[in-house]
Amino acid sequence: MVQPTYDSTPAVNGSLHIKGDTGRRHLRHLLANTFARYYFLFSILALCLVLALVIVFIGKTAMLLLGQISLADFFLSFNWTPEEDKFGAAAFIINTLSLTALTLLISVPVSIGMAVLTAEIAPIWLKRFIRPILDLLVGIPSIVYGYLGLTVLLPMLRRASGESLGDGLLAAALVLALMVLPTIARISDDAITAVPGKYRDAAYALGSTRLQVILRVVLPAAGRGILAAVILGMTRAIGETMAVVMVIGNTPQLAKTLFTPASVLTSNIVMQISNVEFDSTWNYALHMMAFLLLLISFLLILVIRFLGRKRRER
Amino acid sequence: MKLFKKITFSALAAVFAVTASFAGGASAAGSLSGKITVNGSTALLPLTLQAAKEFQRMNPKVRIAASGKGSVTGPQAVKKGIADIGACDWDASMDVPGFKAFSGQVANKVAVIPFATIVNKNVGVDNLTTEQLRGIYSGKITNWKQVGGADADIVVITRAFGSGTRVNYQAKALAGGDIVKKEKNYKETGSSGDMKTAVATTPNAIGYIDLVYVSGDVKAVKYNGVAATTENVINGSYKIWAYGYYMTKGQPTGAVKAFIDYVQSKKFQQGSLKKLKFIPISAMK
Repeated sequence: MVQPTYDSTPAVNGSLHIKGDTGRRHLRHLLANTFARYYFLFSILALCLVLALVIVFIGKTAMLLLGQISLADFFLSFNWTPEEDKFGAAAFIINTLSLTALTLLISVPVSIGMAVLTAEIAPIWLKRFIRPILDLLVGIPSIVYGYLGLTVLLPMLRRASGESLGDGLLAAALVLALMVLPTIARISDDAITAVPGKYRDAAYALGSTRLQVILRVVLPAAGRGILAAVILGMTRAIGETMAVVMVIGNTPQLAKTLFTPASVLTSNIVMQISNVEFDSTWNYALHMMAFLLLLISFLLILVIRFLGRKRRER
Repeated sequence: MKLFKKITFSALAAVFAVTASFAGGASAAGSLSGKITVNGSTALLPLTLQAAKEFQRMNPKVRIAASGKGSVTGPQAVKKGIADIGACDWDASMDVPGFKAFSGQVANKVAVIPFATIVNKNVGVDNLTTEQLRGIYSGKITNWKQVGGADADIVVITRAFGSGTRVNYQAKALAGGDIVKKEKNYKETGSSGDMKTAVATTPNAIGYIDLVYVSGDVKAVKYNGVAATTENVINGSYKIWAYGYYMTKGQPTGAVKAFIDYVQSKKFQQGSLKKLKFIPISAMK
């Protein structure tokens, strides 16, 4: 294949040289573009297919529960004793929601503070130090956090509270907060850095202090990005299993205090799924809980997207 | 550089020579072929893996894939046709509390698994009777003071329902007694490793585990005055133990039968199985 050297500026040559090399080049680009388009289309369709399969297969098994027990029993009863055919999942659902809320309550203020520090306040050498450390923290497997929670955090909580076990929502929320912190901080950091400098300049020109600039100008301008960061942190917190299992106590009851050994949807599924028979009500109930988990995180994402859009429109 | 190349070359040559001689030796040994899938109990997994390694060396045409999850997944996988052998900590061809019998399956004894009651090192109690354990696990006894220890709440740690260890412990140590479900000082763990860590790091904790997992960071207590040792299991004075089984669909045949025969053979039972701290099945007769 011979490449002519002059065809880098075909437009200058005009219609006289359309034939020949330029035409072939055009065809080649056309083919490449078409191919790329189908490739991208295929990629996104493949992803959608996998997602659909997950929903269908979990949903299908979950729906088998409908014939076995009443949905009211499943959603409203607090009594989960599968060996006596009692499948009430209300405690798990409430525990999951309160654990996520508690985790966000602890981690969001801290991580946004860290993001503001790295994006706005810290000198360059400190930024170069903090950012890679946060990235490293994201990569640590969750079971390591769980093990540290079990061996380091729980004894500390026992000493501080005088409890004899220490397992419960607080321990789980602290471990989860540490896990979602780098995610929220790094993405918020990017969002804050992306706020145009002219906003800050204008605010300073009007006589604002640094705190006023950060709180009144930069953070609202980066609001959507920070919201996305919180969503990602939240989905990680809701779906996280291995670390939670090790510190929450795994007892199927409603967490009335921060130190009640409890169980959430994820931890209950992972504790029991390997010990149940395939064609049993128990198995269907666990699949229903997994399906519910899928729906809860989907719903929460929708709600927060909706809130984010509303704020932007105002 | 040249020297380095020379060394690498000779090392490679040596490796090839060794491999070739091994392969040559092995191919003469067995004419069996096929694929064996083993699924089920994690307690029996180390035994299965070791046996598979040795069996494949003798029968290079046989491939053995082994994985561990929960005990009940063993007979279930056999029932569904996913696995040829289902490793299970109880005889799944008979009813046990919580699990129905798997009809048409044959239980092949492969090992003896002893279990031990363990406590955190700060607990002063050295011996517990059946009645005391039943009281502790059913929630009637909640303070170490009641069984001769210091004045402190008992933290009960147990395995999730359906665990083979739990099934056996409940049947043997608690004589079928209940395990409490909802208490303040009550916690479930997912595996033997988690159980050990939890008991070792929680003051006043009590739990139970395969004897092979017991080591210096937890304390094994005596049961009705008898220490949890392999000798006491063999001489019949320590009662908390169970057979480990390989469940098969009907009587095993072909490569599967040869593999089970190998695991039950004197060579494996007295050799590798003992080294893994299981007890040979022949010792219990």
